[in-house]
Amino acid sequence: MSVTRRGFFSIVGANKDEPGLAAMIAARGHEELQAAEQAQGGAAQTGRAAGAGQAGRGGGQGGRGGAQGPGRGGRPAPPPGIDEIKISSNENPLGPGKHVLDAIVGKFPEVSRYPFNSAPNETKLVEALAAFNKTKPENVVVGAGSQEILKSAMRAFCSPYRPLVTAAPTFENCTGLARRMNVPLFEVKVDGQLKLDLEGMLTVARGAGLIFLNNPNNPTATVHGAKVVADFVQRVHRISPDTVILIDEAYHDYVTEPTYETAIPLALATPNVFVARTFSKAYGMAGVRIGYAIGQTDTMKPLARVKMPYNVSVFGIAAALAAIGNPQHLAQEKARNTEVRTMTVKVFEELGCKATASNANFIFVDVGRPAADFRNACGNSWVNVGRDFPPFEHTFARISIGTMAEMKRATEVFREVLRPTTQAGGGR
Amino acid sequence: MLTRRRFVQSVGIGAAGLTGAWIGARGREGGFLSGLDAQLFAQGLAPTAANPIVLSSNENPMGPGQKVLDAIKAAFGPNGAAPGRYSGGPLVEALAKKHGVTAANIALGCGSTQILRTATHVFTARNRALVGTIPTYEECAGYADMMGHPVRPVQLDANFQMDLNRLADASRGAGLVFYCNPSNPTATYTPARESRDFFSRVHRISPETAILVDEAYFDYVVHPDHETHIPLAVEDPRIVVARTFSKAFGLAGLRIGYVVGHPDAIQKMNAWESAGNASSLNMIATFAATAAVDQGDAFVQAERARNKAVRDFTMKWFSDRGMKPAESQANFMFVNIGRPVKEFRDACLAKGVKVARDFPPFLTHCRISFGTMEEMQYAVKVFGEVTGKTVATAAA
Repeated sequence: MSVTRRGFFSIVGANKDEPGLAAMIAARGHEELQAAEQAQGGAAQTGRAAGAGQAGRGGGQGGRGGAQGPGRGGRPAPPPGIDEIKISSNENPLGPGKHVLDAIVGKFPEVSRYPFNSAPNETKLVEALAAFNKTKPENVVVGAGSQEILKSAMRAFCSPYRPLVTAAPTFENCTGLARRMNVPLFEVKVDGQLKLDLEGMLTVARGAGLIFLNNPNNPTATVHGAKVVADFVQRVHRISPDTVILIDEAYHDYVTEPTYETAIPLALATPNVFVARTFSKAYGMAGVRIGYAIGQTDTMKPLARVKMPYNVSVFGIAAALAAIGNPQHLAQEKARNTEVRTMTVKVFEELGCKATASNANFIFVDVGRPAADFRNACGNSWVNVGRDFPPFEHTFARISIGTMAEMKRATEVFREVLRPTTQAGGGR
Repeated sequence: MLTRRRFVQSVGIGAAGLTGAWIGARGREGGFLSGLDAQLFAQGLAPTAANPIVLSSNENPMGPGQKVLDAIKAAFGPNGAAPGRYSGGPLVEALAKKHGVTAANIALGCGSTQILRTATHVFTARNRALVGTIPTYEECAGYADMMGHPVRPVQLDANFQMDLNRLADASRGAGLVFYCNPSNPTATYTPARESRDFFSRVHRISPETAILVDEAYFDYVVHPDHETHIPLAVEDPRIVVARTFSKAFGLAGLRIGYVVGHPDAIQKMNAWESAGNASSLNMIATFAATAAVDQGDAFVQAERARNKAVRDFTMKWFSDRGMKPAESQANFMFVNIGRPVKEFRDACLAKGVKVARDFPPFLTHCRISFGTMEEMQYAVKVFGEVTGKTVATAAA
């Protein structure tokens, strides 16, 4: 990977091997930042702006990107030579790859043109996404990240009379919006295996505006197979045909469970079902903000109606086109993640900590103590793991999968932190 | 002059890299000609319908300038990975400094489009109308309409200026007045003092009504009574000012804008728009925009002067032929071409010049953005051929 990057920098004439643009595009920490903002409401903007401003522009003491995310507040910068390992935010640690960076460079001459005046323009992107998913442009709506898709769905399908059915814990975006929009909210706790409790969700589905089905589910990393999802959709529509089911496949590209398949064919064949996808995870492009929805034309129309005009930048268009044009890169990223994930889960098993069956680029693991305690202890060794995920914050931690080198160091820290207290006196 | 071709050189890609790295990415050879470049003209690559001079979207034809391009280039090095680069923080801080306000006075948006939609969302309701001129930039009206919130349109006066009397009358009980100044698509401008008087009047008549001042074209104004309304906005939660990097700053492709206002108004907008809008901001945009702000005023001053020269040339060309445009204080103009604008537009496009869409109810008026001087010299020849008015007439 580093060889590739050096090659890239020689092309663009930069003389550092620091992958700056790749880092900016991968925007590691983006999900964490978002969650912090959404949890804190509007006040977060001010605090973040001031904090991040110091970090970004002051150059010196604040320079650790720390300002993103709670629970890292007053901790000083790591000593020289030690890099913080950020495994709190589920982004691809390697970024998007040379083909995407090259595509972005190709768009430089068009930065002053609106995306619709650039070539290729947004229409080309929609056409390409449709072709990539074997469907037609009218079945695709693009968003500034899949979060715009989720927000559009909340606005299009929910109201004070049409509830949201979602899980707990799950990706909180829709949940937060429901609260702000006075939409009645049913949060159905995940089952004993920490999978989405579809039976439970079904019991509150009647009359719902939207069901949010995050598959694989963030933060529990569990996934449901294709048949289970299809049966669920059918059963929901038998009792509540107008309820729209949003299947968020943000982590689709990391799934290894053999019974899983994308729900895109299901969505294209079924009214009131659609799938959300993002370029922020396996594609390593959280910083360029592109996601999309796929479903039947009638399901897409309300989303297209509330879509923000010109929501994807000229760079985003080029980057997404390049990304879908290189499936091999994605396959490599999946294999890389699977290998590192397997290693990480094994270490936890050795420590007596059971993780759920992960099908994502993060794991959800029972560390037998409050997530905050674990997080703070790891943070003291410059390893930053995920935030609290109620109602499991008393025992479970979410840990994103970094690079193998990062996870080797991180697992050493986990071994230290999780060492049984009875042996503590006899240790080093 | 920084041409489009030189963009690429300036970001550190030599001629060899250029052909490989970005023509390939463009998917079609010569696609980068949309902005036109004198050198490429010289190579015989004339504008065509498929590859026209784009005078339809009020963009800055010169791009964002060397310093911003250098900053984007710096994104390839360690600076791109610098902490905070993928939050909007450094940009908010730079903007706060530029405008002499605090971070609490600013929210960022995915273009000012997002800002306009959010303001409409927050300040209008089913029983609180949006007030705006017709024609105007339609984002707010379109959004209000979509939400089922009433829209009260107000005609422009005979000189295509905003009719402030009628606008004030219409504001009674309204949720939001959209006040685009200079106005789009007419390019006319209301002086700062008249604007301030208007705001006071609205708030006397209708104390609860919010006013969204869209200063998208602020940097192109050369009128002597010219000042931003940001100082009013930070003191009054009923006034917010929208700004964009898509016009004079030359960053339309990156989608970034912002709003400045009283902390209460900003808080209200953030509360709807996912607290800070970071979910829709692409990071290269925030990085580039920060550099655009940090370069100081000289860039915008030069762009304003460049645009004025092109504006004077183009408007004189039309006036000399009996087609007097509305007074323009922006990087475009609105002119009665005396025939259905669609026919004019199609005929111009066939000759490689793309002018703007229709702006009803004015079906014989055309909005024409100002390109570079070279582009406009080419464009007026086309306009002459299409209108048959190739030479100046005494009738003007």
